[in-house]
Amino acid sequence: MSVFVIDDDKIMAGCIARAVGEDVLIFSNAIEAMNKIGEGVVPELIFLDVLLDGPDGFTFLNELASYTDTARIPVVLVSSLDFSGQDLSSYGVVGMLDKSKMKPEDIKRYVKEYAG
Amino acid sequence: MDVEVDGILVAAHELKAPLAVLRQLAFSFDEMDARGEHIRSEMINVSERAIRQVNDLAKIRRLEDGLFEMEPVAVRAVCDDVSHELKKLFNSNARDLTISYTNRSRLVVANRELLFSVVYNFLLNAMHYSNEGSSASLTVKDKKDKVRISIRDYGPALPMEIWREMREGWINKPVAMAMRSSSSGLGLYIASKFSRYMHAEVGAIRHRDGTSFFVELPVSRQASLFL
Repeated sequence: MSVFVIDDDKIMAGCIARAVGEDVLIFSNAIEAMNKIGEGVVPELIFLDVLLDGPDGFTFLNELASYTDTARIPVVLVSSLDFSGQDLSSYGVVGMLDKSKMKPEDIKRYVKEYAG
Repeated sequence: MDVEVDGILVAAHELKAPLAVLRQLAFSFDEMDARGEHIRSEMINVSERAIRQVNDLAKIRRLEDGLFEMEPVAVRAVCDDVSHELKKLFNSNARDLTISYTNRSRLVVANRELLFSVVYNFLLNAMHYSNEGSSASLTVKDKKDKVRISIRDYGPALPMEIWREMREGWINKPVAMAMRSSSSGLGLYIASKFSRYMHAEVGAIRHRDGTSFFVELPVSRQASLFL
């Protein structure tokens, strides 16, 4: 079991991965992540950027929701966009982090709760 | 809304991303002592890119005042300086940068500072749009009484609407690119603005496997010391 970080900014992805700790896989786009899941590597938790090269974060969320083995994977949206006030729980979204405000502790908290 | 103001607002959004990265990198210092030097280097690179874009935006305002003098500029030296500054960034993003000079005319009529920014922004754009593991190329060659600087990337084709604007000579405002939704096309907008100021010709060529952007500047008649 592992944690996925999906972000097309490699440096930002690296920062999130460092906060997550061990057993973390980084993907620069949604297709790579979906292919990995297709190989049988189903993560416990996903940190997902919204604006990505190729299919965006919401396309990825819909893809996850469409399969029984991935529909319940908790997802934390990590974005510079403001989603406050929006209920995205139907997409499996358990939290949202603002890239310009989040701290490593925020990431660790989600890891402890969903992938501890 | 005024096009200029609109552009600056888009720019502010674009600048938010690298500054957010910088902030996260700063947090990493406490956690990764052994890799501190590497992280520090990444912080400097990201922040310098952000500062350069902010400076370029400020220059757009100054264009209207005509504060940038046109002068004989050694085109290869400018390209060398830009490529030297960006080479490390290309490598750290798993892209290569190749350079080819065949121009016999060494001096062009331009403003050195603006020409630097034009080449810088075209190259940065090429790095973003080149596929991982591929190589972008910078070429300088003569074209009658002009010198053409071309920057070629190997990635997704240029969106048709941007190609049309480039064909007409310049980009009127930053245009979001569909295949890279986080980009506002700010670099192309800046390059286009600066080229227009220098009366340079800019354009784009769509390839099946990428795009070439070019800028053409008139050859300076002043004798070059480098011949």
